[in-house]
Amino acid sequence: MQVWNADSARHLLARCLFGYTRADLAKALSYPSAADFVSQELLADRPQPAPPASWVTERPVANDTMRSVRYTELTSWWLNRMLTEGTSLREKMVLFWHNHFVSDRAKVDYPQYMYQQNALFRQHVFGDFRQFTKEVSINPAMLIYLDGRQNNKNAPNENYARELMELFTMGIGNYTETDVRQAALALTGWRVDGLTAVFSKANFADVSKTLLGRTGNFTYADVVDIILSKDVVAEFICRKLYREFVYYKPNELFVGQMADVFRKASYSIRAVLQFLFTADEFYRPEYRGAKIKSPTELMIGALKGLGVAAPDLVYLGDMGRVLQQYLFYPPDVAGWPGQRDWISSNTYPARGGYSDSLINGRKSNGQTLPFRVNPLDFARSFSSSENAPLFVKDVLRALLAVDPPASREKLLLDTLLDGTVVTNWSTNTPNADARIQKFLKALMRLPEFQLT
Amino acid sequence: MLMNRHDFLRQMSLLMGGVAVGVQGIPVRASAYNPWLINGSAPADTILVLVQLQGGNDGLNTVVPFENDIYYQKRPAIAIAKNSVLKLTDQLGLNPALAGFRELYHNAQLTIVQNVGYESPNRSHFRSTDIWLSGSDANVQEEEGWVGRYLQKKFPAYPVTLPQQPMAIQLGSVESMLLQSNVGSMGTVFDNPDAFYQLVKGTSNDAGALQNTLAGDELRFLNQVAAQSIRYSDVIKQKADAGKNTVTYPNTNLGKQLAIVADLISGGLTTPVYLTTLNGFDTHANQVTAGNTTAGLHATLLQTVSDAITAFQKDLTRQNLADRVTIMTFSEFGRRLNQNGTTGTDHGTAAPLFVIGKTVRGGIIGSAPNLGDLDPSGDIRFKNDFRQVYASVLQDHLGVSADTSQQLLGRSFETLPIFRQTSALEVTTGSFALGQNAPNPFVDTTEIQFTLKKAQYARLTVVDLQGRPLQVLRDGFHDAGNYVVPLNGTGLVAGYYLYSLHTDSGQAVMRMVKT
Repeated sequence: MQVWNADSARHLLARCLFGYTRADLAKALSYPSAADFVSQELLADRPQPAPPASWVTERPVANDTMRSVRYTELTSWWLNRMLTEGTSLREKMVLFWHNHFVSDRAKVDYPQYMYQQNALFRQHVFGDFRQFTKEVSINPAMLIYLDGRQNNKNAPNENYARELMELFTMGIGNYTETDVRQAALALTGWRVDGLTAVFSKANFADVSKTLLGRTGNFTYADVVDIILSKDVVAEFICRKLYREFVYYKPNELFVGQMADVFRKASYSIRAVLQFLFTADEFYRPEYRGAKIKSPTELMIGALKGLGVAAPDLVYLGDMGRVLQQYLFYPPDVAGWPGQRDWISSNTYPARGGYSDSLINGRKSNGQTLPFRVNPLDFARSFSSSENAPLFVKDVLRALLAVDPPASREKLLLDTLLDGTVVTNWSTNTPNADARIQKFLKALMRLPEFQLT
Repeated sequence: MLMNRHDFLRQMSLLMGGVAVGVQGIPVRASAYNPWLINGSAPADTILVLVQLQGGNDGLNTVVPFENDIYYQKRPAIAIAKNSVLKLTDQLGLNPALAGFRELYHNAQLTIVQNVGYESPNRSHFRSTDIWLSGSDANVQEEEGWVGRYLQKKFPAYPVTLPQQPMAIQLGSVESMLLQSNVGSMGTVFDNPDAFYQLVKGTSNDAGALQNTLAGDELRFLNQVAAQSIRYSDVIKQKADAGKNTVTYPNTNLGKQLAIVADLISGGLTTPVYLTTLNGFDTHANQVTAGNTTAGLHATLLQTVSDAITAFQKDLTRQNLADRVTIMTFSEFGRRLNQNGTTGTDHGTAAPLFVIGKTVRGGIIGSAPNLGDLDPSGDIRFKNDFRQVYASVLQDHLGVSADTSQQLLGRSFETLPIFRQTSALEVTTGSFALGQNAPNPFVDTTEIQFTLKKAQYARLTVVDLQGRPLQVLRDGFHDAGNYVVPLNGTGLVAGYYLYSLHTDSGQAVMRMVKT
């Protein structure tokens, strides 16, 4: 394991949190080693947060006109969890599981269910993947989203069975079409009553099934156990973790080592994450800054980096949608593919529009936002604020994962100075606030700002 | 299959020792022809508009085999009743939600290609979508799209130099693999020209020297995307401002996308490929409304497609743009013959697709699906490889040579008679081109095509192998354009003939065979 210092800590925080503050970094460095910080902070158990409102336990009623308002409330609530996560990996992993065991708000049209699923993810976030997968299989939102509630013995619906194997556990190519049909049979019998999953034996295919070479009168829990008896599952999940946290092109050798750890720890998610975040592979310098930020990482990260504690959460939710990470609404059952798929000729400029808005206190359409970065306060939070070249360096180091070329650093310094000479720079000079604003906007429009 | 121009020239040169023989025995040089180069200015700016139906469109309830008992036995709760079907032939009809498509069909502007799919079908949305987008075999993983590869050939200077106008436009926000090539992304992606313009205004692109690191790779990628946004947001807005819509489009997502496409084409944007998308076709449940199979999710989706495309086609026709534009629908797979228990269908295999425009012949290619001969999973066996459709689009609409098409698709696929084949010919040298007659060989009648890049005198003559004129088909001053001239050869004895085109700027000779 590499030495635990500011460089390795920055990398760990950048990947495990939605951006980080300078205080987060100081806290990380107060631990003697990465292993200590990972186990005592990132992976520590935390109490479950209070739900967004009391409606989360209301029985859904037809034509509820509050659904959309409540979905907005739920989204704001989650974004606020991310913004206030401190040094916990939990919300990053909740999002990981949301992007893994996908359901969406269009088909699951009551926010109660999606809250319930979100809470399930948070409950199992570092837990036992086997138990987790079993509970997801009969989670009401999932039963709705992949038609499990309509899967019955007389006419099985293959939707969940297929995605369970293809996207949630094994990956394509490790099962046959017959396995899909047989698993679908074993998954029959479940429906949703109010906010509860209910099993009705009358609708269950109470017959022998043959699945992945095993035969018996299997139920949903057996399906998960049989699937998890295959080595490929650990590899599949670890490859996905690797792509999320390390690099989008997996190092298969290392993925194999992760999978070993995962299996030996009886599918303990915490165990494999502890292994990952203390492995040399994770800290290899070539991976630094090679991840393209997700919209959520970009949005929350910019707020933390700029020290905005109370943003407009509804605006963040709307921007997430524009930037193509509409929470509770992944594009399809495979989730957001990430990395370069985040960037198009449409979304890339829109990212710049977002970062501008934090500085301007105005949305791209001119509407005023209820918050904005105070440029002088921001600058003076750096001890180097009165030394322009040093200040530029410090801000770059605080906000970027990779150093820009010297030419660009020079350009940023020129933007800040705006014609004055270095020796005349001070945050007390007239228009210093406007110059800092221009400097910050330019910095956040650097391609380097998209990386983490 | 019809011989194309390139095959013809190759055979002619084999036959005639490297030169084509002109009338009166005067050799004329066959035009320099480079199969790897696609001429950017011709064929005269033909455009392909793709409509992706995401989720797997149920082919059997789209083009309904209403005389097939198996169809009704296997789909008791979801089949479209015979008396509801919009009949096209004595076997096949359209879902009643496709009323607009029936009209296009009757105007010979809609071709249905039946049973389109591929060998060893994959029933995963994601894998099968990738196969369709890349044009690969089922067992091959590729990361580039077939359109991306086409564009790479068409714009060989990219990314060193950016073409004047976008190479491809995708309406949306997340760029499709369809437009990826191994030199990067070929598409410009936006959902509204004005908003895009506003968005890009503040963007600058200062591509400093990038390090050769993994992060550097991502920075290069980001710079490439930024460069396209900056380069194209102006021209897109300018063309959108110059263009117009002459019909009211349905207020649907697809309607809005196609309205923008028509506006841009009307404004003079020369971008050859557009991608539009409609999702929601994964109709595992509630595909139809219980008790009323002409209503439900699928009917709504089909009507969205039909109404939007019909409006688009009407708009282009009113603006005299329809001759250049072809619309093609596609979806990653069809759905299973057997209904499932939730008034829906599970993932299947082959399905029909639509090719629409004044460019197509119209009609139905291929027979109704054989529901008595399913694969072991109970799915329809494909008859037409999806890449035959691509090859037809590439060669007969976009003007790509057969060799290039083969290169783009990995191997040679027989084209299908989808197009009228009146898209303008490539004018590679001078200001005219003469095409291979079709069909060739012919029995009684055939058609000869030529394209003039500028107005000029032109005379098209049929001659025998000794150069004696037999029929003068055209003689006079012609406007610039594309001409398809019918030839009635009933009076000719079987054998080889030549036909020649004389113009102000030169002449060309081709050979044909009457059998």
